[in-house]
Amino acid sequence: MPRKLVPLLLVLVPTAFLFVFFAIPNAFLLTASFLKSEAQALTDEVTLENYQVLFRRTLYVNAIIRTFTIGAAVGALVVVIAYPLAFFLSRTTSRWKEVLMALSLSPLLASVVVRTYGWWVVLNREGALNDALRALRIIDQPYQFLPSSGAIVLGLTHSLLPYGIITIMTALNGVNPRLEQAAMSLGASRTRTFLSVTLPLSSAGIAGAFLLAFALAISAYATPQILGGPATPVMATQIYNLMLTILDWSLGSAMSVLLIVSAAGLMLIGTAIGSRRRAEAA
Amino acid sequence: MGRSVFRRATLPWWGLRLLVLLIYVFMLGPILITAAVSFNASNQSRFPPVGFSLQWWGQVFDPRWIDPLVFSLQLATASTLASLLLGAPLAFGLVRYRFPGRAALLAFSLSPLILPALVTGIGLLLVLQLLGLGGLFGLPALVIGHVIICLPFVVRMTAIGLGTMPIRVEDAALSLGATPSVVLREITLPLIKGGLFAGATFAFIQSFTDYSIGLFLSSAQHRPVTLTILNFIEFGFTPTLAAVAVVTLVIPLVLLLAVQRFFRVGDFIFGSSGRG
Repeated sequence: MPRKLVPLLLVLVPTAFLFVFFAIPNAFLLTASFLKSEAQALTDEVTLENYQVLFRRTLYVNAIIRTFTIGAAVGALVVVIAYPLAFFLSRTTSRWKEVLMALSLSPLLASVVVRTYGWWVVLNREGALNDALRALRIIDQPYQFLPSSGAIVLGLTHSLLPYGIITIMTALNGVNPRLEQAAMSLGASRTRTFLSVTLPLSSAGIAGAFLLAFALAISAYATPQILGGPATPVMATQIYNLMLTILDWSLGSAMSVLLIVSAAGLMLIGTAIGSRRRAEAA
Repeated sequence: MGRSVFRRATLPWWGLRLLVLLIYVFMLGPILITAAVSFNASNQSRFPPVGFSLQWWGQVFDPRWIDPLVFSLQLATASTLASLLLGAPLAFGLVRYRFPGRAALLAFSLSPLILPALVTGIGLLLVLQLLGLGGLFGLPALVIGHVIICLPFVVRMTAIGLGTMPIRVEDAALSLGATPSVVLREITLPLIKGGLFAGATFAFIQSFTDYSIGLFLSSAQHRPVTLTILNFIEFGFTPTLAAVAVVTLVIPLVLLLAVQRFFRVGDFIFGSSGRG
């Protein structure tokens, strides 16, 4: 067998698989987003109407705005919460370090559905939080925490926190501790050292964590469905309705394409920032 | 390795420790509360639990719950094996050979990580329906969908394994007269075992915890447990649901503890580069 054929044989079947079941479906969505739908069936009339409807009809505009607002809020919260934890884990010499690291990533073992369900248990009308607040006599009537965008932000921040921790910790592990020692030996205080050395050197991790959490938050379906529902539509839940309930494949495809472009765009920017930083550090 | 200059700081470091403790409470609290309410004597989500009862845990073995649990395990096993069969050769071809389009193919094989899984599920749903392959919904379609989202993990972990093994060992074996198939079986596979196990573990967890693909490609008989939970939440609370949720969390945990003697999970999560 000629040696040139070896790589071809190795990659042929997996590539064909991805082409048929991944590339073609995505190409189909892109095509359908430019086709007109009539009576719940695609026609072959090419149109930009689907995108116009998406950006004009209040229902969809509101869902898009809500999705991106939630995404940005989740990204920011993930950074704010993950940074101190990642900083602690990267600098501690505790003998529990390995256990604490494993614990910080352990939520990834549970499905988002299960973790969000935990928040539902805590936040619902007869839930743990209302129980506790009533027992402490802070409120007399159960408070309506659900459904709300705030609860969705809380649930998504909780689900996506481990990704933020991984991203920021990778950046912090790359910061040379000698630079911090140098700053301190030159008379900088600990706060000053942190603000002028550690924080700027880990900025790629911050940007990466923000963008990754943002991208994953706007694609989430289960959390907005469980903690929000019909009262708080987002892009993912709208796509589900359009595709499976209303059966408007054109509009559903247009919304899908918008989601793909946004999520992939955010992720690619995050990767680019990360690799540029690594190139500078090397 | 240099000693951290921050660690000895007394007051700020203690403040940070307190903050970290609060973050762990936030991270683990909902899961622990869910576990606790499953022991309630009544069918309410009272916390702290009122009374103690195992009756809801007994219902986990009701076919309504145990069937989707078993199905999710079968699905994750099938998806993991299929991902290994497709992903390991792909990674081998990408790491060991130089050919035109190699970089593009690598990006393509990792791209399911970047595109929302939800949309991958929808695309497959529409295309299978258009092709008249609606009969595949259920196990076959779910395996196809899960392989797509699991493949990047297998490719990446196998590539890390191949990248960190000393390639000269293979040359040595070949020069001593071993046939390529013997080298693969006796040298390469044992050396990249860690990468394969890591890829398989991540793939299994990815499949077992997924809901985005299951949302679109399930059938009435074949529905993963995550979807059963999602559909059931609408009908309100039952401690059985909390018990099932805890079971779905324990399964990946046990798996991870079982395989961790084959590879260090941390090496594959934070990247093995720069660790010698």
